[in-house]
Amino acid sequence: MLGENDGPSMLSYAATGAQFGIGFFLPFVVVTFGMAAVVQEMTVRLGSATHRGHAELIFGRFGPFWGWFSLIDLGIGNFLTLITEFIAIRAGAGFFGIPPWAGVVCALGLLYSALLTHRYWTWERIILALAVFNLVFVPVALLTHPNWHSVGHAFLTWKPLPGGLTQNTLIILLADIGATVTPWMLFFQQSATVDKGLTTKDIRFGRIDTVLGAALAAVAAVATILATSVLFTHHMSTENYQAAQFAEALQPLIGHVGAALFALGIIEAGMVACVTISASSAYAFGEVARRPHSLNLPIGQGRAFYSVLFLCAAVAAAIVLIPGLPLVYVVLFVNVIAVLAMPPALVFLFLLVNDREIMGDLVSPAWANVLATAVVVILTGAGILFGVSVIAPHFFALLGGK
Amino acid sequence: MTGKEQPQVPLAPGERDLVLSSLEHDQLAGQKTQPVPRRRLNGPEKFVVWSLRIYLLFMLAVVLYQVLHGTH
Repeated sequence: MLGENDGPSMLSYAATGAQFGIGFFLPFVVVTFGMAAVVQEMTVRLGSATHRGHAELIFGRFGPFWGWFSLIDLGIGNFLTLITEFIAIRAGAGFFGIPPWAGVVCALGLLYSALLTHRYWTWERIILALAVFNLVFVPVALLTHPNWHSVGHAFLTWKPLPGGLTQNTLIILLADIGATVTPWMLFFQQSATVDKGLTTKDIRFGRIDTVLGAALAAVAAVATILATSVLFTHHMSTENYQAAQFAEALQPLIGHVGAALFALGIIEAGMVACVTISASSAYAFGEVARRPHSLNLPIGQGRAFYSVLFLCAAVAAAIVLIPGLPLVYVVLFVNVIAVLAMPPALVFLFLLVNDREIMGDLVSPAWANVLATAVVVILTGAGILFGVSVIAPHFFALLGGK
Repeated sequence: MTGKEQPQVPLAPGERDLVLSSLEHDQLAGQKTQPVPRRRLNGPEKFVVWSLRIYLLFMLAVVLYQVLHGTH
């Protein structure tokens, strides 16, 4: 779950804090992690009970027609997200004066070297060690000397959206939801559960793992919003900032070390997600094409699996180096697309975890179904609101927004 | 398993059973060999799935419009 705090997620949180402060968004972001934990628990249960990845299960249970729909959604979503991870790495590296090509090549090198161990166990620990670095945003937030009274007040009162509901606030809202609840997360977590060899006996530990990861990821997200909220209180215009610019803007307020930690945190977030998203695509490909798909495989035996993984990452990295690409714009809209693609993916998850024929007694309890339905309704509603804001831009003005 | 590739040796049926039985206790590896039974979506399920499919396609068109509009 800590890997869910990817590069575009951290950039979304940074933009959130800098543009809107903490009043509405601190509790909102914690709620989104609650939603993500509910969904991830389902994938752990499903993977442990069926010993199959998500793509394989949709193909097997509902047939290739629906299987291909889900796989195409995942493939497009994963590829777009992978591009944004390299954007984050490139932007973070920019703070240290590292040329874009060098940052991207180093990231690819790290991604490939993590795979050379040919063991899921070792790979997972390398990724976990990297993911813990996500908490670097906590000291950055502390360096801004947050007003703890205001922070407590924000959580207890949950203030309304500053400036009302506008298209800009809606994009940030969707980007923050898309930062935590994404289709690749479903596919990756279930495939990883299977690759790790979890069984029904391990579900309890899977749940603890999921909740702990969600809590740590929420801490990092809240810390990022807190860190950049000082830019909001200083009334700095940050609408078109990239990671390097957030770090540069923070430098006079928190010093060079704090700003450097912020930039490193963005690089780390992009790096971890590069590895997990490309693995998610490769798992799904292997499951559907019935090719060996495991991080335990030597390169020779998992040629197709590793080829997909390498190729996805390499092409996404190359795209990021195209001159003049509107990077911030791409990041925000990819997160929005992730939110839009989530409800169809969630419905299949919902059907599978309530399928007594494959789940037995492990079908979802009523409370989990209520929560999952609420997640689908919230995500769909947020998407529809976004559509309305584009088609009828004056609609929100009628509701009292700007 | 090491980084160096090991030659693959085909398992005899008896050996395969032995491997599965030793893994079965911890990983239930043999369950993967049983196909998942096919299930057809019922009416309401088809309605929800198709509705969300149409929703997704429509919203992607909206995003594309917004991106093109924004870049101009």
